Amino acid sequence: MVLIGENLNIMSRTIGPALKEKNPAPVQEMAKAEAEAGVDYIDLNIGPARKAGDEMMAWVVETVQGVTDKALSLDTTNPVAMEAGLKAAKGKALINSISLQPDRLEQELPLVKKYNASMIGLLWGVEGMPRDANERAMLAVDLMYKASEAGIANEDIWIDPILTPVSVEINQLKACFEFMAMLKDIAPECKSTVGLSNISNGTPNHLRPYLNRTCMIMLMKHGLYSAIVDAFDSELISIARGNKPEIVDLVHRVMDGDKPDLASLSEEEAKYVKTVRVITGEALYSHSWLEI
Amino acid sequence: MAFEVPKTAYSGRIKEIKLGSGDKAVIVGGETCYPLYLFEGEMPHPPRIAMEVWDMPPQEWAPAALEPFEGVTDDPVAWAKKCIDDYGAEMLCLQLVSTDPNGLDRGADEAAEVVKKVADAVTVPLIVWGTANLDKDTEVLRKVAELCQGKNLIIGPLEEGDHKKIGAAAIGYHQTVVASTPIDINLAKQLNILLGNLGVPDEMIIVDPTVSCIGYGIEYCYSVMERMRMAGLTQQDEKLQFPLICNISKEAWKTKEVHIPTEAEPKLGDAKKRGILLEAMSAMVLILAGGDVIVMRHPEAIKLVQEMIAELTAK
Repeated sequence: MVLIGENLNIMSRTIGPALKEKNPAPVQEMAKAEAEAGVDYIDLNIGPARKAGDEMMAWVVETVQGVTDKALSLDTTNPVAMEAGLKAAKGKALINSISLQPDRLEQELPLVKKYNASMIGLLWGVEGMPRDANERAMLAVDLMYKASEAGIANEDIWIDPILTPVSVEINQLKACFEFMAMLKDIAPECKSTVGLSNISNGTPNHLRPYLNRTCMIMLMKHGLYSAIVDAFDSELISIARGNKPEIVDLVHRVMDGDKPDLASLSEEEAKYVKTVRVITGEALYSHSWLEI
Repeated sequence: MAFEVPKTAYSGRIKEIKLGSGDKAVIVGGETCYPLYLFEGEMPHPPRIAMEVWDMPPQEWAPAALEPFEGVTDDPVAWAKKCIDDYGAEMLCLQLVSTDPNGLDRGADEAAEVVKKVADAVTVPLIVWGTANLDKDTEVLRKVAELCQGKNLIIGPLEEGDHKKIGAAAIGYHQTVVASTPIDINLAKQLNILLGNLGVPDEMIIVDPTVSCIGYGIEYCYSVMERMRMAGLTQQDEKLQFPLICNISKEAWKTKEVHIPTEAEPKLGDAKKRGILLEAMSAMVLILAGGDVIVMRHPEAIKLVQEMIAELTAK
């Protein structure tokens, strides 16, 4: 599992001002901490960056490269800033992300080829969010076709099926899983990724890791290639690195219909089983899902 | 091969709760099938209608809504009696509009005295509805619960922010609570769990999903209520097996459409009929979605809905 650390983010209370003031210390500390935590990529999220985004992205790329040689994921909706970041990046960078809106495709697909980058293909169409698994499949095929026309190899495309919060619309989450099960047949060479923390958006902070970890394990069953994650959830990283095979096995068994007696499980195992049940929609989510 | 009618596989049952006390107490809930799906299961108790009474004279009601209560709107006891004696009300809902901090802001003691008077004057189950202001409802409903001990009132709305204090009083003085959340199934389930953790017995909880009327987003209410029933009846979700209450009358009668006089907009038809139909049809939609207790205002709208209920529950 390739992990992309999400924590260097303009929404953060320490990173936001540092990016705006071009103050390198907090940015470098965060990058170092993420690298030490063991992620493979560091996501540099500078937001829409409408004003002088190119300067900001080039600066943050150089600043981070000053302290780590981890690969970089460049996260902005501003194509000019994206190009500035790609120019400054030393290794093969990841563009996070290109959606299926015509102007985004037109402006950003050529950058993938020009800078020998990889790209996250976000399945967000002209009409917004896809409604089900089939619409996701259509968008994925469409994206592959357009990327191919632009000379981009399938293995450089990381499909993002859009993971939605468990507490919003369970059918969207089901559709995301259904699509992930189809992806290896639709596009065997493409890679995949999800913004993992989305699933727990709206959940009390101290409970979010359970949803994030369980969801990752569940998507691993469908061959998920990578995930954008909280770099400081050490348990999650440990799972991704293959250190918790018994938990992975348990989650996968429950997905296959096994119904273990909760009383026979450890407290930790029971939490995973309960979380699978809310993510599949078998049980309805509430903030107290681990207690009942 | 003979055709077989597909049938939903139910695994749950809505909890039965008793509202009020004495001869006129009413039991709601107990369904083992989707609302009115009598061909698939049982609905031992029909949906009930609670007639609305205000604790102060309404200032902005449409003439059609005021007309049936002429002469009693300044006296909640007389109003309540009229609902029962003249219109056959089986339940009442006293709306404590006068306690609104943005309005009259009547104090808790005075408001509770009025509730007590009404509760003493009638024998049908009495719902007491606050203003959804957390602090004020806490003050008022706690007082009401205390003063009306033994009446098994239905008090609400209880929200996440005030459920502990009002819930504790309800347990102490044995009143049923209305668990209220803003059109969100996950939050509804959560509040039911929290009330359970607090120690409110299941048979003292009725759920308010928050409703709006036709033309004002009733589709969302319908979906949430429908989803609650699916979870409770087909997914064994015990925290979503509570009867539902819908406070629809004030929503229907505050819309722009019921206030436009006939002559101002002849194309909309007769103003009185318009208001009655809007209320009746909204109420009916909510019954079809799973409403067990519907708070209504106009006697003619109530009559229409009761006729529908009778037809749909006929053996």
